[in-house]
Amino acid sequence: MSSAPPERTERLVLLLTQHQEPLFRYIFSLVACEADARDILQETSLALYRKFDGYDLSLPFLPWAYRFAYLQVQKHRDKAARSPLLFSEDVIDLLAHDRERMEPELNQRLRFLDLCLETLTARDKELVTSRYAMRQGAVEMMQRFAMSRRTLFRNLELLRQRLHDCVTRQLQSEGLS
Amino acid sequence: MNLESRIHAKLDGEITPDQHAQLEALLRNDWQARRLYLELADQHARLLQQPALNTGRIMQPSVGRLTVRWRASAIIASAAAIVLLALVIWPRKAVDKEATSNGVAVLSQTLDAEFSEPNVRSGDTIAPGKLTLNKGVAQIEFFSGATVLVEGATEMEILSAWEARCVRGRVRVHVPPAAKGFVMHAPDVKLEDLGTEFALNVKGRDSAVHVFEGEVIVHTKDKAPASLKVGMSLASTAAGVLPEDFLPISELQGLIRQREQRRFQQWQTWSEGVSKDPRLIAYYTFRHAPDDRWDRLVSNFAHPQDKIRAGGAVGAQWTQGRWPGKEALEFKRPGDRVRMNLDGTYAALTFACWVKVDSVDKKYNSLLLTDGYDSGEPHWQIYEDGSLMFSIGYAASGEKRITARYNQVYYSKPVVTADSLGRWHHLAVTYDNVSGMALQYFDGKEVGREVSALHQPGRPIILGPCELGNWGLPTQGHPFPIRTLNGAIDEFAIYHDVLSPSEIQTLFEHGQVK
Repeated sequence: MSSAPPERTERLVLLLTQHQEPLFRYIFSLVACEADARDILQETSLALYRKFDGYDLSLPFLPWAYRFAYLQVQKHRDKAARSPLLFSEDVIDLLAHDRERMEPELNQRLRFLDLCLETLTARDKELVTSRYAMRQGAVEMMQRFAMSRRTLFRNLELLRQRLHDCVTRQLQSEGLS
Repeated sequence: MNLESRIHAKLDGEITPDQHAQLEALLRNDWQARRLYLELADQHARLLQQPALNTGRIMQPSVGRLTVRWRASAIIASAAAIVLLALVIWPRKAVDKEATSNGVAVLSQTLDAEFSEPNVRSGDTIAPGKLTLNKGVAQIEFFSGATVLVEGATEMEILSAWEARCVRGRVRVHVPPAAKGFVMHAPDVKLEDLGTEFALNVKGRDSAVHVFEGEVIVHTKDKAPASLKVGMSLASTAAGVLPEDFLPISELQGLIRQREQRRFQQWQTWSEGVSKDPRLIAYYTFRHAPDDRWDRLVSNFAHPQDKIRAGGAVGAQWTQGRWPGKEALEFKRPGDRVRMNLDGTYAALTFACWVKVDSVDKKYNSLLLTDGYDSGEPHWQIYEDGSLMFSIGYAASGEKRITARYNQVYYSKPVVTADSLGRWHHLAVTYDNVSGMALQYFDGKEVGREVSALHQPGRPIILGPCELGNWGLPTQGHPFPIRTLNGAIDEFAIYHDVLSPSEIQTLFEHGQVK
């Protein structure tokens, strides 16, 4: 493994720090599994570290990083090609393509997400905290909220759908003026 | 099971192979399905990383877990440090590409100046090139720090921030220590300034120099460089140089002050007349009432004076307007605004104002907006691309809120551009509910003319509670958008009629800075 000189490494640390969140979101949208996405993010960070010499600092970082992330996603897919729960190559391709076009809009949606989270009922907030902040598993949550597995996931689905609708509404009314 | 449920099942890892195959088929064939999936996946990914809830219980178990996984592979330990650091620090906003300009100087002040080059105005940034003054006085500040005062018929060539040429006419040059080395060319001679003030007169092929202060090195073709010190002059036959021929900067400043006072007085007289226009709904000239101890009153000067229509400043601070002595309100912070309540139902409108925009830094930058955005309420803003944006909407029958389908938006061409920032400009819009025509003006000239396809004649226009420079009380449940104007307003007139293009032109001419 070739290693970049220290100041270049610092530069990469900074860039990764700045872009780690959008990079994770990009990868996640292509695999839809958190653990896989985290693994791929690590592989991608490594690939970026190795290939950092080839990066032109005057160009935006994310499009460059997405190319590596995309390759890592395909690589990950090839390793587990038999799994029926992974997207096929052509679907990943379509999603990656659409996502890059939609990116500004997705970023705009996130601005409203925080506001919409505040509008949730106390119980829904509990669910969000438990599922996302505390990373509780299904069994733990079923006990905590005294719900069947089916009800639990149904509730999570409804909650996320409400958030999505709220964001869409906010976006539409902002488009107005 | 519908598309949404399949997507959620996928995100939760609860999807069965059959459902997965169905989801995949939908994503493959339908771009709208992909769009919905990408929106939901992105939302989920964000929640996984930042469950921003005010529960005070946000934990970061993922980092701990990652550390363990990373330790397992020692080969890549150095990169692990990078990734871990990346995981704990929240990302900042990416920096956009930096704007550039090829300017090397600023035309900082002018007095009755006329240039041969079109569209040269006080405050302009000057790029290298010719600058020909036909009459008047102009002060040019080079980015190096050197200042050149140009008087009468003078032809200059700006070469860089450090170099200029006087082709003919009279210039006076001031070079502070920071700009030492500034070079002024004249026919057959090159003057290198060592931190001084000197005057130069060029007539035909002849030049004359006089040093008021400091030292100048004179380079000529044949002779060795000569040093010229305080009080010394160097003149060839035809061109003479008498120190008293050159306008000192202090005098220019005095003349400019006088002119500004004259302009302010002229405007005041004119404004008295405007305030008697019976078509006015309200007329704010931002004259600060001396007896207003709260300092927040923005009086309505439309005759007969209607106190109910006075505005109330919130946050916004008093500052200088178009001329010294003329007041304005400055809008900077997200809360800054002027609140008003303008009752009545109207068939037509004109908004006309003097605004100095410092920056178009938000998506929407408020001029005048009604609270909320209900049927018949106009909004007037500067859009992010610098265009003026007038909008009015009428909700579908039975609905209160206006949806995108019923929103009539009129954009002018972009006018508030880098070149017009930081200066006083006249903005106006007229609209009537019969023709549906929205006309927008910038410095008296038409910049937008449009009738919306959604227009239906005869629907009423309402203002009610509204504000200048902000939109702070938006529709219920709407997130709190920041639309503060970044700039200052020093005159705002609201009419219940359409002013003609020539009337708008007159408003501009009488109100312009010079």
